[in-house]
Amino acid sequence: MPQDDDEDPRNGAVEANDHAHQSPLKKPRLTRPISEPDILQEFSHHQQGFARINNGSFGSCPRSVLSAQNTWHLRFLQQPDEFFFNSLRKGILESRAAVKALINADDVDDVSLVDNATTAAAIVLQQVGRQFADGSFRKNDAVIMFHCAFPAVKKSIGAYIGPAGGSVVEVRLPFPVRSNEEIIAEFKKGLERGKINGGRVRFAMIDHITSMPSVVLPVRELIRVCREEGVDQVFVDGAHSIGSVPVDVKEIDADFYVSNLYKWFFAPPAVAFLHCKNSKGLVDLHHPVVSQEYGKGLALESSWVGNRDYTPQLVVPSILEFVNRFEGGIKGIMKRNHDGVVKMGTMLAESWGTMLGSPPEMCASMIMVGLPSRLCVTSDDDAMSLRTHLRVYHRIEVPTYYQALRNEDRDPKDKDGFITGYVRISRQIYNTDEDYHRLKNAINQILEDGKICSMLPVE
Amino acid sequence: MDSPTTNNHNHIHTHHLNGASTISQPSKKPKLLSSSFITPAEIHEEFSHHDPSVARINNGSFGCCPASVIAAQHRSQLHYLRQPDNFYFNELKKGILQSRTIIKDLVNAKHVDEISIVDNATTAAAIVLQHTAWSFHEGTFQKGDVVLMLHYAYGAVKKSMEAYVTRAGGHVIEVPLPFPVASNEEIVREFRKALERGKSEGKRIRLAVIDHVTSMPCVVIPVKELVQICREEGVEKVFIDAAHSIGCVDVDMEEIGADFYTSNLHKWFFCPPSIAFLYTRKIPKGGSELHHPVVSHEYGNGLAVESAWIGTRDYSAQLVVPAALEFVNRFQGGIEGIKKRNHDAVVEMGEMLAQSWGTHLGSPPDMCGSMIMVGLPTSLGIACDDDALGLRVHLREQFGVEVPIYYRPPRDGEVGCVTGYARISHQVYNKVDDYHKFRDAVNQLVNNEI
Repeated sequence: MPQDDDEDPRNGAVEANDHAHQSPLKKPRLTRPISEPDILQEFSHHQQGFARINNGSFGSCPRSVLSAQNTWHLRFLQQPDEFFFNSLRKGILESRAAVKALINADDVDDVSLVDNATTAAAIVLQQVGRQFADGSFRKNDAVIMFHCAFPAVKKSIGAYIGPAGGSVVEVRLPFPVRSNEEIIAEFKKGLERGKINGGRVRFAMIDHITSMPSVVLPVRELIRVCREEGVDQVFVDGAHSIGSVPVDVKEIDADFYVSNLYKWFFAPPAVAFLHCKNSKGLVDLHHPVVSQEYGKGLALESSWVGNRDYTPQLVVPSILEFVNRFEGGIKGIMKRNHDGVVKMGTMLAESWGTMLGSPPEMCASMIMVGLPSRLCVTSDDDAMSLRTHLRVYHRIEVPTYYQALRNEDRDPKDKDGFITGYVRISRQIYNTDEDYHRLKNAINQILEDGKICSMLPVE
Repeated sequence: MDSPTTNNHNHIHTHHLNGASTISQPSKKPKLLSSSFITPAEIHEEFSHHDPSVARINNGSFGCCPASVIAAQHRSQLHYLRQPDNFYFNELKKGILQSRTIIKDLVNAKHVDEISIVDNATTAAAIVLQHTAWSFHEGTFQKGDVVLMLHYAYGAVKKSMEAYVTRAGGHVIEVPLPFPVASNEEIVREFRKALERGKSEGKRIRLAVIDHVTSMPCVVIPVKELVQICREEGVEKVFIDAAHSIGCVDVDMEEIGADFYTSNLHKWFFCPPSIAFLYTRKIPKGGSELHHPVVSHEYGNGLAVESAWIGTRDYSAQLVVPAALEFVNRFQGGIEGIKKRNHDAVVEMGEMLAQSWGTHLGSPPDMCGSMIMVGLPTSLGIACDDDALGLRVHLREQFGVEVPIYYRPPRDGEVGCVTGYARISHQVYNKVDDYHKFRDAVNQLVNNEI
């Protein structure tokens, strides 16, 4: 039976108040799962005729969620004082409660909404810096992270830890990666290095899914290792996680866990959650933008950082309604994305004579695929030229990655030489196999034309 | 082809594009032909999304945004969503620079490097005060060195002082200010006394945080004079929290001469929530730089560049400054004309209310911009902050009037004085009826009391 137009969220008539009573764990309706044409319609604002295989960078947001956001925005503009006094706080709490259920958190107080993972990193790292500054952490103590941690977060560590006196240990992520075991082994070596100056490793920053090169790390095992070694605090940067891998914060058991909702969970730009284990015990965790709620706990501090547009934080219930239109809800979406991206990655690797950057079980909705050595990716600039060329000349958006050769035995090869370039392909519900065939053909065309990266026109 | 912005899926939008289909370089001069000035009907249309049942006399708290600027924002948002990578690589930086350049000209700053765009004045305060805290931590400032602020500083800024200055070992001194206030001299006198107190223990006064227009109670502070006094008295840096200023009072960086100055564009400059600028006077090489607390790829490239990228977010409110300027220039006299007419109207309405209620204004007309404090009849019996809030809620719910109420505690020896004030705002969408509605509501409440 077709739904009434009034109930159809695509028509924009999404009343924010309806979501107060939705349980996020409600089983998805199986009577009428969303159809292919519906999905196309939901993303019809994406550039048409364009292979958008980079959901990982900026995410995506369906029309029905944008519509819900617009409703909230309009309510604010109509009578902002009334909105501020009567609706805002309630709305944010509802979103936080929805996230709490989604991630299996114990206490909604432990769930804060912030702009993005970059902001969460600043919050967590500032409090680490304070512990170095006030002597709780000693000058020869260390923090540990992977070398491929997100560049913005590395800068944040540089800004807040270094000047406060802490030293930083970087763990090299073996890539292409073959197994969880090799990652855990490298990490254990890193922990040993951290103790060299007679200090302790106080803080570990672990990606759940690294950005570039993209791999799903064995966070549960890594955290176990941290606990065994007496690391005081573990922060999981799960920027990509929610909506691409299952996130159970109790099971993962990090002290801090952040994930962006706008990447793989269909939120508009931008909103992320930061889960803090036992937040009531964390007296010195603050949002850097201090406002009237200072001292009332991070969740409340983050819910008011001065007059701003909070609508991205208010639409979580609407997002749940959207994902529950799919067979299997978010679980179904994750599985289909994963299977799809592995299938397409394998197809590309076969066509190009290269390989995947990780085994399929170490990826979620993104996978790294080696580029033919004949393309001669010899620098970050080459990788960027290729990306720009693909965007401008082939209407394909896909991020590229350059990795210098390390030692001859492990370095990946194809029949023509060493592989130093990769693409990171994403798969989200709006993608079709066509997108990836277009990429396959574009690369093959470049090779046929005898071009290498440094020769490619970019304008 | 791209889907047009005004399509079936956006039928909630009742905004008008007014023919402006691209964000082109706007002219800085207002139109000269009177026939092309915006008409009252057009103004009404631009704000038709405001709740018509409410007498909205509180522009000061949350500002306002006309339909044409909202439409420009929607276009910007859809443009990003359409192909975000392309937007990020090819358009975002340019757009932010364009906004910063317009602001630089509006506020008479020397270099565009001096203008950073941030979310709001609260964020700007955190940036300046975090820097102060760092100076204490690394020993540039000594424990006990003084930071000065006004007693009527905004609540969030006071908390920021506590979090960053007091916590780092700084000594915060508040300058008490008289209210009601009769002249600039009263403020200057108190300020000088506070400076003396600050210097009395041989400590340095490292920073003075001064409001340009205090929030509650609302008064325009003689900032130029106070900055001069700070320089004479050896105060190291001056930070002006001018949250309300741009579009409400004159804002001229060279004239005022502060080291740091922040103002929200979403209050009185018709931008959507939220956008503010933070002006930082250029310092000689080797001077210590401010940083945005959310550290991202651009860390170390200067505050303006850092602030232009603090992770993936919706930057559209920061990109529509050209559209806001275009809107403003449809009015006779541009923003100067708007300011003057708002000021004259709010003073006239304030006097009308004071006369009707038998009370008085909280400040002389020349110490107010587009907002003024009006005494409420004593029979309303406002005896604490809760009473003030209760009255505000009552006015909203029972009378459809939105206006913030301030409780002013009696000083020693004062009996039977006015303890409640309303802060009325006037913006281009306001009508005389809004204030009559308020007048009548209060008179009715007074009659109920009798």
